[in-house]
Amino acid sequence: MGTGPPVKTSEEKAKRKLSLPFLAPVHSLLAGWVGLTLWLLLLLLLALYPYTGVSSVALFVGSQIFVLVTLASNWNLIGGMTGYVDFGHAVFFGIGAYIMGILVTGSPLLISPEWGFWQALPASGVAAALFALLIGLPTLRLKGPYFSIAMLGTLVAMREIARVLRPFTGGGVGLNLPPLLNRLGDYYLMLAVMGLVVSIIWWIQRSQFGQSLIAIREDEIGAEMRGINTTLHKIVAFMIAAFFTGIVGGFWAWQNTYIDPDVVFVEARTVEMVMMSMLGGLGTVWGPPLGAVVIYFLQDLLWGSLFGVHLVALGVLLVVIVLFMPEGILGTLGDRSSTSLGRLLSRVGRSK
Amino acid sequence: MDQLLQALVSGLLLGGFYAVMVLGFSVIWGVMGVINLAHGEFLMIGAYMAWGLFRLFGMDPFASLVLILPLMFLVGYLLQIVLINRIVERPHLMTLLVTFGVSIALANLFKILFDADPRNVAVAYNGSVQLAGVTFPIVKTIIFGAALVIMVCLHLFLQRSRLGKSIRAAAQNKTAARIVGVDINRVYAITAGICIALTAAAGAMLSPTQAIFPFMGPPFTLKAVTITALGGLGRIPGALMGGMVLGITEIFVSTYVAGIGTNLGVATSFVLLVLILIVRPQGIMGGLRPIDAEAE
Amino acid sequence: MASDQQPLLEGHTVSKYFGGLAAVNNVDFAIYPGEIVGLIGPNGSGKTTLFDCLSRLQNIDSGKVFFKGRDVTRARPYQVARMGLTRTFQSVRVYRKMTVHRNMLISHQWRDTSILSMLQPSRASTAQRAYQLLDFLQIRHLADEEAGHLSGGQRRLLEIGMALMPDPDILLLDEATSGVNPTLIETIKDRIRTLNEQGKTFLLIEHNINFIADLCSRVYVLNYGEKLAEGTPQKILQNEAVIDAYFGA
Ligand SMILES: Nc1ncnc2c1ncn2[C@@H]1O[C@H](COP(=O)(O)OP(=O)(O)OP(=O)(O)O)[C@@H](O)[C@H]1O
Ligand SMILES: [Mg+2]
Repeated sequence: MGTGPPVKTSEEKAKRKLSLPFLAPVHSLLAGWVGLTLWLLLLLLLALYPYTGVSSVALFVGSQIFVLVTLASNWNLIGGMTGYVDFGHAVFFGIGAYIMGILVTGSPLLISPEWGFWQALPASGVAAALFALLIGLPTLRLKGPYFSIAMLGTLVAMREIARVLRPFTGGGVGLNLPPLLNRLGDYYLMLAVMGLVVSIIWWIQRSQFGQSLIAIREDEIGAEMRGINTTLHKIVAFMIAAFFTGIVGGFWAWQNTYIDPDVVFVEARTVEMVMMSMLGGLGTVWGPPLGAVVIYFLQDLLWGSLFGVHLVALGVLLVVIVLFMPEGILGTLGDRSSTSLGRLLSRVGRSK
Repeated sequence: MDQLLQALVSGLLLGGFYAVMVLGFSVIWGVMGVINLAHGEFLMIGAYMAWGLFRLFGMDPFASLVLILPLMFLVGYLLQIVLINRIVERPHLMTLLVTFGVSIALANLFKILFDADPRNVAVAYNGSVQLAGVTFPIVKTIIFGAALVIMVCLHLFLQRSRLGKSIRAAAQNKTAARIVGVDINRVYAITAGICIALTAAAGAMLSPTQAIFPFMGPPFTLKAVTITALGGLGRIPGALMGGMVLGITEIFVSTYVAGIGTNLGVATSFVLLVLILIVRPQGIMGGLRPIDAEAE
Repeated sequence: MASDQQPLLEGHTVSKYFGGLAAVNNVDFAIYPGEIVGLIGPNGSGKTTLFDCLSRLQNIDSGKVFFKGRDVTRARPYQVARMGLTRTFQSVRVYRKMTVHRNMLISHQWRDTSILSMLQPSRASTAQRAYQLLDFLQIRHLADEEAGHLSGGQRRLLEIGMALMPDPDILLLDEATSGVNPTLIETIKDRIRTLNEQGKTFLLIEHNINFIADLCSRVYVLNYGEKLAEGTPQKILQNEAVIDAYFGA
């Protein structure tokens, strides 16, 4: 069903009212070397932070935020920049977590000796990237909502498969990983991963590769007709996004010391990624990290993690953002590189 | 041979349930263009209602439909007015995001209310009868019968009644329907009411056959998508056909894939779905609008 | 025309069906380097569909297409584009949210697809080339404008620019003059001539007969998907069958 023209114009008017285009020069500065320099400075400060003698709780909170920022940035690469709105991205998180779990416990497969954390971590990422290759070849051929639904299907199907493949995954009982608490190590590891991922996204965004991704988002057929190998570009972007999501999944399994199908293959984690990117500004470099930080503190301040209320709020918030703030924070602040959600939606979702 | 016959019968029984389960999903999509990712959650709510009525008043799940149908009709009606009317006719992805949010919120709300422990509705007639060497589980056979009755009623309603005709008119051409004096918003609200009620009814009927828990919804949503891709949008015979195909496929996988096949329902339907969408983006029976970036 | 030369673009019995409708039916053609060839025919005669087949947007149901002597019947669209065949679209296709200059850059990047260069921003020389082409097409002043804000005619020029960016061997222009004011048409005509003198080959779909008569050395006429006639514009315009198809019942 097409969008009626009158609906669209009023929608666009509403958007214009909100935005502050005079900030545009600031945004273009931030997209360039200035942005990267500021980012590296921030990383340096964060690296020094533990030396101020903080509690291990603060370190834990830090690593949690870094995880969210990494996830949001990753999702943004495929969902925001390439325009393939992935409702099942948590599947790569789950794969990474399970590869970590299987390798370090060794037990289900009788791997001996068990792998160490540092060997298993890259393996988590590689496994997730390979899975992305496998699943992306068919699903990335689907357009718009069908891709989204197919990826959601992948997630739910993998949850089922993880439950069934008991010899490897421990089934519904899950796997217990060796508890080796190292808050400082976790903090620095995730700081490094986050620093790397966001820098990579920054780099991609200004490279020809990234511009091609944006071309695919804006008009895939046009991009293909003008010589861009769209399949290859989509797959590579998907694999990069999956690789780091897998790494985060592996790390999460290690930190949490317990995994089962229902805690790693979970829709709410996808919603989280989608929402952090959307809240910050889809397709921008700094929007998703910003969105991640905002979401973390919103959850922490407003709802706590009590009784899972935050998950209910997460769902409600998604509805609210889509309906009332489709451009995200950066878009609302006049960043032209941000694809407004509304535009992405009407582009990808144009159905007639 | 016996195993094959048994698999066929089980598949048909399951297919009948799927057919009635998918109706609400497929009609909302067909009439309003809304892909409702919270479909499974409404089914879950229906199952919880049946469980609650069974626990509190010992009410039979099939009898409780008398309460569940009108109540959930009201819920659907209100939901349409408050939320869904804002996203009708909007880009598919927007409706996906909104209903995805609703689905997460509902599932987790029920987790808070009833915690994650699985619940059961243990009806007395939970046995099975043998007929010509084939096992017929009683509850599933009743569901099958009820499914057929519901589908016939819905069919008659859509074809014969004035309201049903308005709904079909709205599905085909909103503007034209408006011109001939159909109050679209009211028609939509009634459609949503009927669809949500039907979905919850499917959940209630399902309640004696499987564990009820807050996160039971998504597999049903995905199966609903697959069946719709198989059978077409908003068409009752299509739903029946698609439901049967999925039901039989699923049972065959669980019968013939040794050991692990039993719990691969979603994986099966997922593979089916992706295959269909790649080979025929418009769905097997047509009607899924191919999403083509080419169209302006 | 130099018939001893190898054709640049060549089709043998190319057909494309939509359901029962033969949109392109057994069409043979050959286009030689340095030519400007016209493709005319009534509405719905299959001209755009033929373009879609050549640029590989549509699958070819039967027949073969050769480009630079290579069989490209089953090639992917990006492959023929990279080999040097670019086109414009009847309903203009630009990246509306990007600036005009960015549109030009994006149409060029695959000239060098080594990993190293994909990881770099577009080169300064590319940016320079984009400005030169925009100058050539007289839309330089719009370089920083969002493409979506351009007028219809300006977008057509931009699209031609995008097709020129990678320095192709042949350009397929689909109704480059429709919706364009007469002065601008003269500009386009002039540009095509200049480019042709520099060695570019053109295949033009046009309803504007004067445009065709002025530019083209040869014309193909399609009707109901079939090739009705071919020859010089003068001969074609006197051809009974063609006149019938265009103006007759
Ligand atoms: N995607 C499609 N699906 C079905 N039929 C199509 C499709 N594209 C084109 N057609 C049909 O193929 C025939 C040829 O269309 P085409 O666009 O090639 O004509 P044309 O010669 O370019 O006409 P015009 O001068 O109006 O641009 C038409 O009858 C059209 O209806
Ligand atoms: Mg045409």
